[in-house]
Amino acid sequence: VTVRALLAMASCIALAFPLCASALPEQQSGTLPHGGTFIVASDLTAPTAAIDLWFRAPDAGYEGTMPGIARVAAASAAATKLEIGSSLAQMVTAAGGQLTISVYPDLVSVGIVVPPQAARRILAAATSAYFAPAIDAAALTDGEKDTMVQVLQQQYEADVLAQNALFEKLFVSAPGDQPPVPMTPTDVSRITLTDVQAFATRAFRSGNAFLTMAGAVDSAMLDAVTDGTAQSPDRPIDETTASSIPETSTEQADVAGAGIAWIGPPVSDERAATALDFIADYLFGDDGTAARAVQQQDPHVFLRGQFITLHDPGVMLVMLDGATSDGPQESVLAAVRAMQQPLAQPAFDAAREAFLYHINQQTQTPGEQADMLGWYAAEGAPNYAPGGSDYDRIARSLDPDYVAAVARRYLSRPAVVRIVEAAQSQTGSSI
Amino acid sequence: MKFVRSVLVFALALCPAICSAQNASVTRDGSVTIVSQPDPNASLTGVEITIDAGLDRQQLSQNGLAALAAQTILETPIDNERLLDAVSSSGGSINFRIESHEVRFYVEALSADAPTVLTLFSHALSAPDFSAATVHAAREALYAKIAAQQGEPLDVGIQMLDLAVADGANSGSPPLGNPASLIQYSPSDVAAFYRAYYRRGNELISAVGRVDAVGERGLLALANTLPAGSTRAIETRVIPLRAQGQQLVARRAISSPWLVVDYAAPPFNSNDYGPMLVLSAFLQRTLGDIAEVPGTITPTLASQAVGAEYEFDTAPAKLTLYVDGGIGDAGQSFGAALSVVKLLGTTKIQGSIDQFKRIAEGDFGERASTLQEQAWLAGLFVQRTGSPAYLSATLRAIDATTPADLQRVAHRYLGNPTIALVLPRTSN
Repeated sequence: VTVRALLAMASCIALAFPLCASALPEQQSGTLPHGGTFIVASDLTAPTAAIDLWFRAPDAGYEGTMPGIARVAAASAAATKLEIGSSLAQMVTAAGGQLTISVYPDLVSVGIVVPPQAARRILAAATSAYFAPAIDAAALTDGEKDTMVQVLQQQYEADVLAQNALFEKLFVSAPGDQPPVPMTPTDVSRITLTDVQAFATRAFRSGNAFLTMAGAVDSAMLDAVTDGTAQSPDRPIDETTASSIPETSTEQADVAGAGIAWIGPPVSDERAATALDFIADYLFGDDGTAARAVQQQDPHVFLRGQFITLHDPGVMLVMLDGATSDGPQESVLAAVRAMQQPLAQPAFDAAREAFLYHINQQTQTPGEQADMLGWYAAEGAPNYAPGGSDYDRIARSLDPDYVAAVARRYLSRPAVVRIVEAAQSQTGSSI
Repeated sequence: MKFVRSVLVFALALCPAICSAQNASVTRDGSVTIVSQPDPNASLTGVEITIDAGLDRQQLSQNGLAALAAQTILETPIDNERLLDAVSSSGGSINFRIESHEVRFYVEALSADAPTVLTLFSHALSAPDFSAATVHAAREALYAKIAAQQGEPLDVGIQMLDLAVADGANSGSPPLGNPASLIQYSPSDVAAFYRAYYRRGNELISAVGRVDAVGERGLLALANTLPAGSTRAIETRVIPLRAQGQQLVARRAISSPWLVVDYAAPPFNSNDYGPMLVLSAFLQRTLGDIAEVPGTITPTLASQAVGAEYEFDTAPAKLTLYVDGGIGDAGQSFGAALSVVKLLGTTKIQGSIDQFKRIAEGDFGERASTLQEQAWLAGLFVQRTGSPAYLSATLRAIDATTPADLQRVAHRYLGNPTIALVLPRTSN
């Protein structure tokens, strides 16, 4: 029996089963008791429960003048003592869970993963901490300290530095041109309690929230959400792009690396956004063609690339941690240029199947599912979350000519930032 | 051979409010065991196949041969494409781990592609290509993996300690071998190892996720890919360490020193399993608290630079503590942790240990969140206990732990560490 015959038999077996499952379990969605959106993807056999709160909020404040305020406010709210005498952060730790706070130019997210039996209690605490924030001086101190550590850590993360520098080039105003975690401790220490209270009250109101839950959770738990004020959500935040982008610039830091970025389509152009997701996977995934080329060129360089789906516009971003020469960056640019020509159909079909697998593989755990649902809901496209059936359908509709056309349209004008270790650099500005 | 089938449904008694059940069935066909954990919510199908072709099937002079055989299977061309690429092109992935006794292949795919991907794997597994070109490609792939591991101080430390504490000298050798050993093996050496040890005796297949995509027949077909017969481990004696203080030192091209420490630990089918999970959570928290910047709310690099890992599946089981000296003061962190350990073993524990039990539950739940881990855990539990109910058994063991258990386990196991220091090369 030949391999082809075996594969044909396998395909026949596959056809006998209804197998068009998506990575995300069936979802329930609706409105929270005091406004805001909930999406619940329940899988009661999961060993953990994930609870995410996402808010549309500018990272540097509503005037764009306070870098770090979103991060400080989110951390301070988690540190605020609730009525029961413990803070949300303490409760999550005591329950054996994990709490992460992520800030993006236009979004704030609070991600929690806990054992199932603690989910309802933590949901009540999380919504109380954010929907009715009572941040005091002690909580602010903790929130500032937490953010300050992030400020110091990122000085040694070339990819963060490169991303910040690239966003500053691509976008002409806040929030896009501001780093989600400020670059200096001074930025953090000048934020006052009044600033934080005002920001938290406005940004973290129930009406502006997207609560996404996945894993061992149930929509019946939503009766634990008792706090909040009913107001409509803020609109998704768009960015203003620079009219002309200098192709290459150099910055100094304590670490070496490089970053490359291209302005992409808005999330509303779901097919183009998916095509760029596909390109990112094909080129920059673990076994991607550009990743392999860079690895062969310099095994000490770590490549990471993805299309960041923002409301408008998205950004294709490539980071080259540890790059000390132009070689890796040239490899990436050459691989991206090659995508402007259509792939041969068999190669394209194989790459698309691999892409669909990677998407599903990255949406396995409750934490990953809640994150994916939260991000896309907050960016204004709740049904388009990767791992869902809409995304799967769009991905399967891609073809070589369309993908090449998207590459030609969006991936022609790169912005490049080289991060040079201070000791090696003679010129350039300091981050 | 007649099928013996038992279908088991395990309720999670400890989370009645929300958890339903971990569904699992165990099928035995002669010497082959098939564990199935269907999950209709999943979009992927994952299958782990465990074969008795691990480290203890190697002679002492064959370090790395088990890995080379496994990697050769992954590099085997199928219709002019190596298996790794063919699987990827078909919407899946494949990897392997070499353990003390076994090799574990894990294949995962979109459910619609799972039959094709499993067929590809079956073909390579049943007839690997031992041509010089394919074995060369496998060797090169292992070189790259080894080089990556050598840049990870924790991996280096763990491998040093494995060599010192393993049951057999071969079973503690580096799982992937080393470049100096790998270069010696000819294609015929690899083929001979495969022919000797890739047998279906004691084979275990653990399927998870959309198991319906491949069905019982598909799993059985995979199980019957290899010829019948079972094999025995090659016994090798461990040369005891004769130094007074058991400290191993290595230098690598890394930026900061790492301290890695092994303690003996109970296997997971022991009564001490639950208490050791709680103790491990306690030590993780203690090390983290010592290293962490006081007052921070979210984990920072400082707390991620220390840790405690209870490896309950290894032979022998062990508890590994590690500290990255590049962040904070490794000596202070570890010294404080050792003091706590000593105190635990000698002083009666006052107060509740509930928080550490919850942390242990949380850590285990998080670990068991991916299909690959679920397939591995179910298979492991069936092999050692006969039951795939890893989640309920573990949660029950944690919940039953008392302060006295914690103290007993600390006293019994945490007395005599073996320490590995991984230091930066002076020429870095």
